[in-house]
Amino acid sequence: MPMMEASKAVAAPRVEARLVYAHGLAAIVTLLISVSFGILASIELLAPDLAGNPPWLSWGRLRYDHTQGILFGWLGNAFFAFLYHAVPLLTGRPVVSARLGQWLFGLWNFAVVAPGWVLVLAGFSQPLEWAEFPMVIDAFVVLALVLAIIQFLPSFFWRGLEDLYVSSWYVIGALVFTLLAYPMGNFVPELVPGARGAAFSGLWIHDAVGLYVTPLALAIIYFVIPAATRRPIFSHFLSMLGFWLLFFLYPLNGTHHYVFSVIPMSAQIGAITASALLGVDVIIVVTNLLLSLRGSGVFPRDVGLRFAAMSTIFYLVVSIQGSVQAQMAVNQTVHFSDWVIGHSHLAMLGFSTFAAAGGLAHVWQRIPWARYNARALDWSYWLLFSGVILMVTDLTIAGLVEARLWQSAAPWLDSVRAARPYWFIRTGSAIPIAAGFIALLAGFTTGPRGAGLKSVERTIGLVPVGKIAPRLARVASGASS
Amino acid sequence: MNRDSRRLIRMSYLVASVAGVVFFAMSVALLGVWPGRVLEGETRAMSPPHPLGLTASERRGRAIYSREGCAYCHTQQIRYLHSDMVRFGAPTLAWETRFDYPHLWGPRRIGPDLAREGRTHSEDWHFAHLFAPRALAPDSVMPAYPSLFDGSPDRPRQEARDLVQYLESLGRARELAGPEGEAHARAACNCPTDEMAQMAFHATELNANPARARRQGSAPKLAAPGNRDRGMQLYLHDCAGCHGSRGEADGPGASGLHPRPANLAGHEYSVDRLGYVLWNGVSGTSMQGWRDLSAEDLASLAQFVRGLHAAQQEPALPQNLADLGARVYADNCAQCHGEHGAGDGSAVPELRIAPADFRGARPSVAESLRALRNGVEGTQMAPWTGRLNEAELSAVAYYVRGFFQGAQ
Repeated sequence: MPMMEASKAVAAPRVEARLVYAHGLAAIVTLLISVSFGILASIELLAPDLAGNPPWLSWGRLRYDHTQGILFGWLGNAFFAFLYHAVPLLTGRPVVSARLGQWLFGLWNFAVVAPGWVLVLAGFSQPLEWAEFPMVIDAFVVLALVLAIIQFLPSFFWRGLEDLYVSSWYVIGALVFTLLAYPMGNFVPELVPGARGAAFSGLWIHDAVGLYVTPLALAIIYFVIPAATRRPIFSHFLSMLGFWLLFFLYPLNGTHHYVFSVIPMSAQIGAITASALLGVDVIIVVTNLLLSLRGSGVFPRDVGLRFAAMSTIFYLVVSIQGSVQAQMAVNQTVHFSDWVIGHSHLAMLGFSTFAAAGGLAHVWQRIPWARYNARALDWSYWLLFSGVILMVTDLTIAGLVEARLWQSAAPWLDSVRAARPYWFIRTGSAIPIAAGFIALLAGFTTGPRGAGLKSVERTIGLVPVGKIAPRLARVASGASS
Repeated sequence: MNRDSRRLIRMSYLVASVAGVVFFAMSVALLGVWPGRVLEGETRAMSPPHPLGLTASERRGRAIYSREGCAYCHTQQIRYLHSDMVRFGAPTLAWETRFDYPHLWGPRRIGPDLAREGRTHSEDWHFAHLFAPRALAPDSVMPAYPSLFDGSPDRPRQEARDLVQYLESLGRARELAGPEGEAHARAACNCPTDEMAQMAFHATELNANPARARRQGSAPKLAAPGNRDRGMQLYLHDCAGCHGSRGEADGPGASGLHPRPANLAGHEYSVDRLGYVLWNGVSGTSMQGWRDLSAEDLASLAQFVRGLHAAQQEPALPQNLADLGARVYADNCAQCHGEHGAGDGSAVPELRIAPADFRGARPSVAESLRALRNGVEGTQMAPWTGRLNEAELSAVAYYVRGFFQGAQ
């Protein structure tokens, strides 16, 4: 394994493998629960009275728990697992405190995710997108984000900032700006009414994806690619250009969720312009990533890298789609339709989940005592891949059908009737997706202990890290010139 | 690395960190604070003085709407787009949202927009619909909320009442502001050249919802004949939930409605009357308008509904009873139902629900007697058994049938 190889030479930075493991398992468990909420909600659209309409199973509450579970439970835990592995390797320093890590783990899962779910089902929530957990939970999220900054960021500064690899930039940016952006969508709209509140809400709707999910997913991809391709990233300059454009443009996108609303047109047009430019930024980032991947094929042998590579492609597609659908001519038609639900699943289930799964597979391979089942992970990849393609294609077509009916004089209910076959297929797509996630769990909990390293040996080979990513290696080894 | 280059790098990181924070602050300023100030100014300028906020019950209802995620299927924001205006009405102005803590604009429209839902449907309709949406619209995918009721749509708990109060408040502030409010807002907008801003004031109707019942309104003449099979299909989708599959007012949605839905099998309707009612609904009742159906579909539906009435030969009335009926009618009924049975008596403006128009709808003798004996619950039609004797009741029950003008 490349990094360990290099770090053997000098004092290896201590990776809190137990925290990696705990967050990794929590990620998949909360993922399975979140996906169950989503599947139930999709079934309720097909057979609304099937469950007998108990309040705690009503569609709206399931919908709230589905996305909050994905955002906090699955992605949050997966990101933390990755950070516990990556931060010591990126900085050559351990994270601040294992005990703080236990607190953070407990806080995140037992003061945010679990009680958040229960409160939503019990009828305590906030009707704001990506902010559905009630405000009492928001307080714990903010606390956890502060603790995460205390836990992970000092290592970068202790080490000195001279040699920041691009993943480090993304980690620092994500942790700091998520904390800043979080109140915009969770607290401000409670204090500022109506259209004014919506303007702030829009900031967080986009920043949740743009400043929290995307940077951490990219941090994983930028980390996994050099570590698993045995080559440095194609261009550090492009990496940094992409990073800065992202942090410049992403926050300026928010208002594109409210095109043709009463929010001042200049703000809408600004956000739409930023959305188009964001597409350019993503092309830069993805070009750099794909050039770094050249020679590995579209489906690399190493499963962590394979997830990361497909995540990169999903990132390109979903971002270009986003740039296009923010444009007024497209937005006025597809907005509010299933097209957007397809888009958000391409972002969260395609891009982000594939990055998170790739990151988890990568770090799992490097926990010497962790069980690892390569065959299950292979299955997971292909099941998820086919599930995402099926679901997103289906919802995109459904959105176009709905949009066409809305533009016509047809009665509203016609659009519901027309959507039904597509909703049926969407629920069907849950079969490969759920199976893929169960396979992911099996990949990390079955198989022999230490099989991960063997799999790395087989697919990548053990090569000194210096040949793979000199910049990474220099940092990881603690060498200073 | 020498000391100078280190210092350079440290400096560039400092600059970069500051730049990052500035980027973020800029986004908050440009997309949050600044639009907020503009909207606040618009609100102050365009709002009518003292707009009506929410009552305590409506606020509780809003909390239920929030907790059930209603906004995730029903937006509350009419966009400045022709397609939105045609379906829902005037685009949402900033001041209309001034009491929305937090906003409920919503990300998705599985159901229709509700920004102007107030006074679109009757309270009864809302109760029946919340209790069992598919009783009214078999193809609806809306969740049912039986837990807001004590076992039937007739017995709403406080939560159901609050929720319906809230739904009825949607769009109210602007409606109450009236034409003066519109004129005031338009003057305050001062945007004669801003085409988009102008759209807010150019909707044909403030609430364009095709379901909203109208007390008065024109209706397109129905082309005859329609397609009976298509009519049946539409009837089973849209009507049978209340009127029953055979038109006997016994659909699953009927029980909570006051007045009960019309017994279509017990009346013979003129095409014009069906056209009028389908187009405008019956204001004050749960009968909504169906202005979203095409002219062909309305004609087909009307043809099917006319077929629900089992024509039967009813005996002609002896002349002496006919005279009695005319006398009883003139003394007791004409004030509301009109001298010629057109439902246009002098008392009509006082009535919440327009009285029956016998020229367009001929009740069977049984229906007619039932209404005279029991009254029509939920309307001003009271039981007449205390005032009229059996002979008079029968006479007038027959008599009103004579007004009908729609026989074919």
